[in-house]
Amino acid sequence: MSSTRKYRRTACTGLALVLPLAALAACGGGGGADASAEAGSGKGTISVWAHQGQKSEDAAVQAAVKSFNSSQRDIKVELKLIPGNDYTKTITATSASELPDVMEFDGPTMANFVYNKKLAPIDDYVSSKTMANATDASKSQGEIGGKHYGLGMYDSGLGIYGNKKLLDAAGVKYPTGLSDDWTAARFTAALKALKAKDSDGKTLDIQENNGLTTEWGTYGFAPVVWSAGGSLIKGDKAEGALDTPAVISALETVQSWKTYVDPNTDGNAFAKGRVALSWVGHWMYPTYSQALGDDLVVLPLPDFGNGPKTGQGSWAWGIGADSKNAKAAGAFMDYLLNDTNVTAMTTANGAPPATRTALAASPLYKQGGPLQLFADQLAKPCGDSDITKTCVAVTRPVTAGYPTITAKFGEALSSIYGGAEPKSALEKAARAIDQDFSDNAGYKIP
Amino acid sequence: MKSVEPAHAAPPAREKAPPVTAAEPARPARSVRRNRDWLHGLLMSTPAVAGLIAFVGIPFGYAVVLSFYNVRLGSPLAPTFFGLEQYRRLFTDPDLSGPFLRALLNNLTFAVVVVPVQTALALGLAILLNRKLKAIGVFRSLFFMPVVFPMALVAVIWRLILARSDQGMLNSALHTVSFGNWGAVDWLGDSATAMASIIVLSIWQGVGFQMVILLAGLQQIPGELYEAAELDRASRWQQFRHVTLPGIRGTLVFVAMLTSVLSFRVFDQVYVLIRGGGLDEDAARTVMYQAVTTAFDQNNVGQAAAITVVFFLIVVALTLIQRRVVRPDNED
Repeated sequence: MSSTRKYRRTACTGLALVLPLAALAACGGGGGADASAEAGSGKGTISVWAHQGQKSEDAAVQAAVKSFNSSQRDIKVELKLIPGNDYTKTITATSASELPDVMEFDGPTMANFVYNKKLAPIDDYVSSKTMANATDASKSQGEIGGKHYGLGMYDSGLGIYGNKKLLDAAGVKYPTGLSDDWTAARFTAALKALKAKDSDGKTLDIQENNGLTTEWGTYGFAPVVWSAGGSLIKGDKAEGALDTPAVISALETVQSWKTYVDPNTDGNAFAKGRVALSWVGHWMYPTYSQALGDDLVVLPLPDFGNGPKTGQGSWAWGIGADSKNAKAAGAFMDYLLNDTNVTAMTTANGAPPATRTALAASPLYKQGGPLQLFADQLAKPCGDSDITKTCVAVTRPVTAGYPTITAKFGEALSSIYGGAEPKSALEKAARAIDQDFSDNAGYKIP
Repeated sequence: MKSVEPAHAAPPAREKAPPVTAAEPARPARSVRRNRDWLHGLLMSTPAVAGLIAFVGIPFGYAVVLSFYNVRLGSPLAPTFFGLEQYRRLFTDPDLSGPFLRALLNNLTFAVVVVPVQTALALGLAILLNRKLKAIGVFRSLFFMPVVFPMALVAVIWRLILARSDQGMLNSALHTVSFGNWGAVDWLGDSATAMASIIVLSIWQGVGFQMVILLAGLQQIPGELYEAAELDRASRWQQFRHVTLPGIRGTLVFVAMLTSVLSFRVFDQVYVLIRGGGLDEDAARTVMYQAVTTAFDQNNVGQAAAITVVFFLIVVALTLIQRRVVRPDNED
């Protein structure tokens, strides 16, 4: 009796002692083996992880896996869907050896997974045809140091949806495309004009209900920084990139918009016609077009001096660094990125296809389609660092330090929006990011 | 009034009982018993002590160790020894110590307001619900209901109540009551009202729990005491002052202690409301919130460990002080 109790106690204490040590080992260590998957025979079973998103997206992935399995006899794919909210945490918490052969990941998290050796370069395993068919924007999101680690089925883009009826009623002139984009001042004037005609004076939606300290804050408002000629980080340093006078004044402008912004507690501000303008991404198109029909117009984000900019990048697919069957994994990725599957997926979620052929054929994004603007933006990719006046779609910083960048930028944005002084908030964020990079030896990928 | 302490009654009763096993009758029974008591006491407390060591002691020791290192979640770099750097940053680096000290202040404000207000409110509710009314059970469950809801759910509901502009239920109610003279207040986004909003919703959610404990305390007070007080022509207030309060003194102290410990843990409502409610982050940040976001959003485990170590020490110190000031056994 007492001996079993004693045994249990020892076991308990032992376990409690070992668990944190194991965690420490998992935190550190890792070095040694190079992150490149084994090609394998190209036959057999491979495991695939994907995030569980909207029902229609899940169905598209499942259908692709099913048709792949029945299309040939050599490779069998086993798909596991993991809830989207926990997906990134799941991969972070799983050691490389337990990760699947093929996995989906959210764009800006890729560099971190490459950094801790969870993803292998795909160049040797994905066919050159697939690689050539990927859009430049998609390729630049997946590239680190000349190697590609991921390719997406779809991309993303930001814009402003306008309610034509309300805009016309207020006599507001709005751009027809990227070429005659409005300046931030013209946009502010439009808000003012709309306010005069609005019962509660709230004429803009910026998806405040998503929170600005979240990834939405960075994705949605980093374009303001880029459009002002700044950058979230430049050559591993945020100081001098994130806190330039132009960026500070741009964020002062954003701050001044708060009086026009509907808090959008119910998420329906634009669809119900409470506001005339909605600053959001492509993903609201299905809802908005259903609510407004022909009254819906799609506009670029305002220009803060360095040309209009938009965020870019979405979920992508890559090969696990410990895969023993990368050849088969590459074959599956080729299949996933063919026109049939990309079209099925983008029909399911309304996103811009990330392959040239599917994009050209897409009824929404083709020339003359209702979302042509998003395609036009993505056709002018900047990558993550070469932000010129003429390019439009900027990839969020491809660095393993991204979690800190997004956390600090979101924090600064939220406090500026809440009334804090933009200069000190941005300088603080820049210092915190730089401190983090120096603590981590610049997050250099070994 | 002497509070009854049933715990003390147990050992003497056991002493009177005959020895359970008379293995060695030659030895003086007393010392054997004392030995056994010691052993039994140890055995009985083993699960609790083991749990305490496993879930508090070891993690805390581990946090202390981690706080001396630069440790990152999911980093291929080996943890490097940092010495007191994390603590130095927490207290002297203006960028880091600003938010941290603000979070500490927010926590203290929260505790200083919530502990007395919530305890008093719970007592009031308990007295109100300690009547022999028809369907009193229904009322009691109604007041207890918010406790059953998860905090995340409560926060989402209160987000609708506290929403800024005239969409918020509170704002539109005030607008109606004031015949349109009420300007829409940004309850969550304004640094002046952000913490107050968190406090109000936390009290609303938690008060039922304290109320139930106090209700049980109230029902322990013998009715004869009130009858006697009434015969002595004690007023309602005098009855409350001299019968009710002394009768539940122990319970009250327990509730106050419990509330203060719980109030240091405030996290969920802040976390939920900042991500979606437009809560002013600086004005509402609590230490727990900062520790969690530092560790899991920024992957900075060492820094988060230092935050929790400092916080743990502060909470322990405060609890010790509180125990000295309001000791359940103290006579008034």
